[in-house]
Amino acid sequence: MSKITKSSTAEYFAKNLQQVGFSSPLKAVLTTLKEAVDNSLDACESSGILPDLLIEVTKVGTGSTKNTDLVKIVVEDNGPGIDGDDLAKVYGEYLASSKFGRGQCSRGQQGIGISAATTWAQMTNAKGVQVISKTKNMRKAVSAQVDVDIKSNTGILKNKETIEWDRPHGTRVEFYLDGRIQLNGDGGLVTYIEGTILVNPHMTITYKLMENDFVTINRVSAASPDLPEATLPHPHTFKLGEFITHATLFGKVSLSKFLKTGFSRITDQSIKDFVKNGLPKGLVEKPITSLSEEDFKKVFQAVQATELMAPSTKSVLTVGEESLSKSIMRLGEIDFFAVVTRKPCICDFKPVVVEVALARFKTRQMEADSAVQLLRFANRVPLQFDKSGCAITWAIESVNWKAYGLAQPKDSLPIGPYIFAVSVVSPFIKFKNASKETIDASEELVAEIRLALIQAGQKLSRHIKKEFKEADLERKLAHIEQFGPILVESLARIIGAPESRKKKAEEGLKKLLGRDSEAAIADLEEAESKLLAQKKKERQKGIGHEEEEVESDVISSEELSEEAEEKPQSTTKKATTKKAVGTKKGGK
Amino acid sequence: MAKLIAIRELKIDIPKEAMILAEKMLKDLENSKRPVLEAVKTSLDNSFYNAKVGYLTPGDKVVRTELNVSSVQKLARVVFVLEILLNNLKIEAVNTKRELYYMAKGLIKGSSKLKPLDFEDQPESDAIIDFIGDMLEVYREELNCFANDRGGQTYSQQLVVTETLPDGDKAVIDLSTLGTSPFQPKNKPQSLKLKAKKKIDFCLVIESEGTANTLATMGFTKRNNCILMGAQGVPSNGVRGWCKLIQEQLDVPMYFFGDLDAYTMQNIFRTLKAGSAASLIRNADFSAPNVRFLGVLPEDVKKYDLPHYKVKESDPAEARALKKAKDVLENDPFFLDKKNKNLADILRFLIKEKIRCEQQSYFSVDPKDPIKTEKIILEKIKRGSYV
Repeated sequence: MSKITKSSTAEYFAKNLQQVGFSSPLKAVLTTLKEAVDNSLDACESSGILPDLLIEVTKVGTGSTKNTDLVKIVVEDNGPGIDGDDLAKVYGEYLASSKFGRGQCSRGQQGIGISAATTWAQMTNAKGVQVISKTKNMRKAVSAQVDVDIKSNTGILKNKETIEWDRPHGTRVEFYLDGRIQLNGDGGLVTYIEGTILVNPHMTITYKLMENDFVTINRVSAASPDLPEATLPHPHTFKLGEFITHATLFGKVSLSKFLKTGFSRITDQSIKDFVKNGLPKGLVEKPITSLSEEDFKKVFQAVQATELMAPSTKSVLTVGEESLSKSIMRLGEIDFFAVVTRKPCICDFKPVVVEVALARFKTRQMEADSAVQLLRFANRVPLQFDKSGCAITWAIESVNWKAYGLAQPKDSLPIGPYIFAVSVVSPFIKFKNASKETIDASEELVAEIRLALIQAGQKLSRHIKKEFKEADLERKLAHIEQFGPILVESLARIIGAPESRKKKAEEGLKKLLGRDSEAAIADLEEAESKLLAQKKKERQKGIGHEEEEVESDVISSEELSEEAEEKPQSTTKKATTKKAVGTKKGGK
Repeated sequence: MAKLIAIRELKIDIPKEAMILAEKMLKDLENSKRPVLEAVKTSLDNSFYNAKVGYLTPGDKVVRTELNVSSVQKLARVVFVLEILLNNLKIEAVNTKRELYYMAKGLIKGSSKLKPLDFEDQPESDAIIDFIGDMLEVYREELNCFANDRGGQTYSQQLVVTETLPDGDKAVIDLSTLGTSPFQPKNKPQSLKLKAKKKIDFCLVIESEGTANTLATMGFTKRNNCILMGAQGVPSNGVRGWCKLIQEQLDVPMYFFGDLDAYTMQNIFRTLKAGSAASLIRNADFSAPNVRFLGVLPEDVKKYDLPHYKVKESDPAEARALKKAKDVLENDPFFLDKKNKNLADILRFLIKEKIRCEQQSYFSVDPKDPIKTEKIILEKIKRGSYV
């Protein structure tokens, strides 16, 4: 019989780095950057600090592995800093996390990511991560190299020294690793940074990618997000095994106390209901340490069979429509946009909030006939791979975007020069894999995302409709100019009419078509007033669309009818009652 | 150029009618009134069928095009193309639709002012030409616009055709003297006079040109006093007019022999017998209401044990034909008429059984007998096995 050996967690991950986002040189760079930024932002947030980030990703040589470059990745923050004693744990030990399973909407959850990045650097360049950190209470900063001791899953500090650092607090990490840099496209660094900018309006970021210059994007919100308190798990999200393990954390307490303090939404009344549903009464006050597996099973079954209040939604956090609308302007000059923040709700017994921002940009180089650019976020972290399996993608594809004026091939993403940003926030987000690339598509979650998209689509359609009506009017005016004279001339030629009749007919034609364009103007005015009403409503909520004076954007009917006809007529009352093309509400 | 021969005695003078129309349009414009053009609505919902008349006739629905910002382009195009057609009539020039499309493009190229009128593709100009025909209620041929001659290759030992030529001369064609060549009618067959040297017993129209040729080569027309014709699929105007002419002038029984499938029944046979919804104003001269459906009949499939196929619903063309069959049973006045119940029954059979059986399957009955198909056809005619 072969010998059975036990391997450490670090050994497991070192052999399976592809599972946590290091499946290619390209993804290695992106994942390392992502993990470091996640940690920085989470640290700032938990201390109420407005984050100032500095990012540098550059090629510094040739990699040791075939077809790779040696890439330097620097992430520096103004966060609370890390004590010298904790550095080894944070950067060199797997599953050492301050966030694991505590029910908060932080970006990081398990404590795998940054240690995996250290492992990758160590494996490809024989050196872990170089860290400088300083807390408020330290006079000097501590600088060290952290490696992972793979055999024992512990971090090792090398070359530790104290140095002068001209900042009050913060952390700087420097990785040298084998990788390849891709800037654009779904998996590109630019896409990642833009996504991070969009959902972190309170962040100021300075970045340098490859040989490009440093770019600074300033924060548009001075409020650090209020991190909601951690929430206790809802018992209906548990499986039996988890339930028993959970119980071991509580020591020698009675079953009723364990249920009431270990879970949310369990009250004395619920315990009575459990008894009604088959919980042996004798177990209620028994210490959980004395419960057999058989007992636990009975308890668990009774809990599952009882209706409980849905979990509280207080534990989720949102970026908010106002901040989102400001933040989106940081990505480029915008034609128009629509943002929607849904109220928190419960999907699969977990609190979830969905936010959507749809925007069309003036300046970005986007193909008009390719699919919209999709930015997906889970707990404010951009998701950049395996788009097709994600709940967000499914939800977008299930909406009938044609109703909102966008082209859309069957069962696909809509088409056009738009950015669709969809963010899902939840303390218990369910990913399809450990590298957190795809949100698992449960029916309830897809339906909730879909609702948010439909609301945003309706808002967006007001903008598109106004544009459509403008184009329609322009086309109609052009038609009159182009075809009117041809019609009159051909008719006159066929019957040999004199010049005087031709002239009279031309005047008559202008009059007739002028009336038509007034109707088109009225349609446009209606579309505009609907859009104005929407903008007004949004302004009250703090959402500003560009700094323009909105009213000046509206073309007065007089101006246009003058254009269409020499003699201005009073704007027609009749025309304004003409029905604009109705919007089909809802999706498919 | 010599004067063209008229298709029919036209009640209206096209140039005069066009002038009146143009005059009215201009007058309306002078008075700031919206000019309106009206054309017969050529669609199934405006088609009527009376078994006594025998072909589809138009109802009173019209397509009204009133001048407004959206229709000004169409009206300008109609008047533009009308001018070209009127000029063709004046100088007695003829053209195909495709040639007219290029003539329009040529004129537009020559004048920057006309540029907005430009046609992107031929269907755009075709639609305008058809609209003008429906508006004036005249045949396309009467506007000197002809399609190419397709189908109608005819074999007979008895038929003599006399054609009056534009210069008044007469050409006499005795079909028995053409050797193995068929006679093919022009798509204006109305200028022909027909005579039978000897009594003609029947006229057989075969869907497949190839099968018509096989029968002729194997001596069908030698053994039978008949007219044998290949339709070449959906009958062209030429074939439709030619059948009408044979029916009118010779009064011989006429049979159609084609595939047993929904497409043949509703697109080929119905068009030959009663015209089509798209050609409502011309069905009177372009349909042969006396023609009977000889086969393949549903009962033949059993009787002769003919090889047949299941309709592949995955094949879009066949699926479409079946779907259309369901639709015509509900909406097509031809199939709704009691007189044509037996034809409608064939469609119902096809919808139910979802099979198709080709005309050539008769060749499976006795592969050793090269004229077995002829024998079956004659037997069916004798037995009255047709619908």
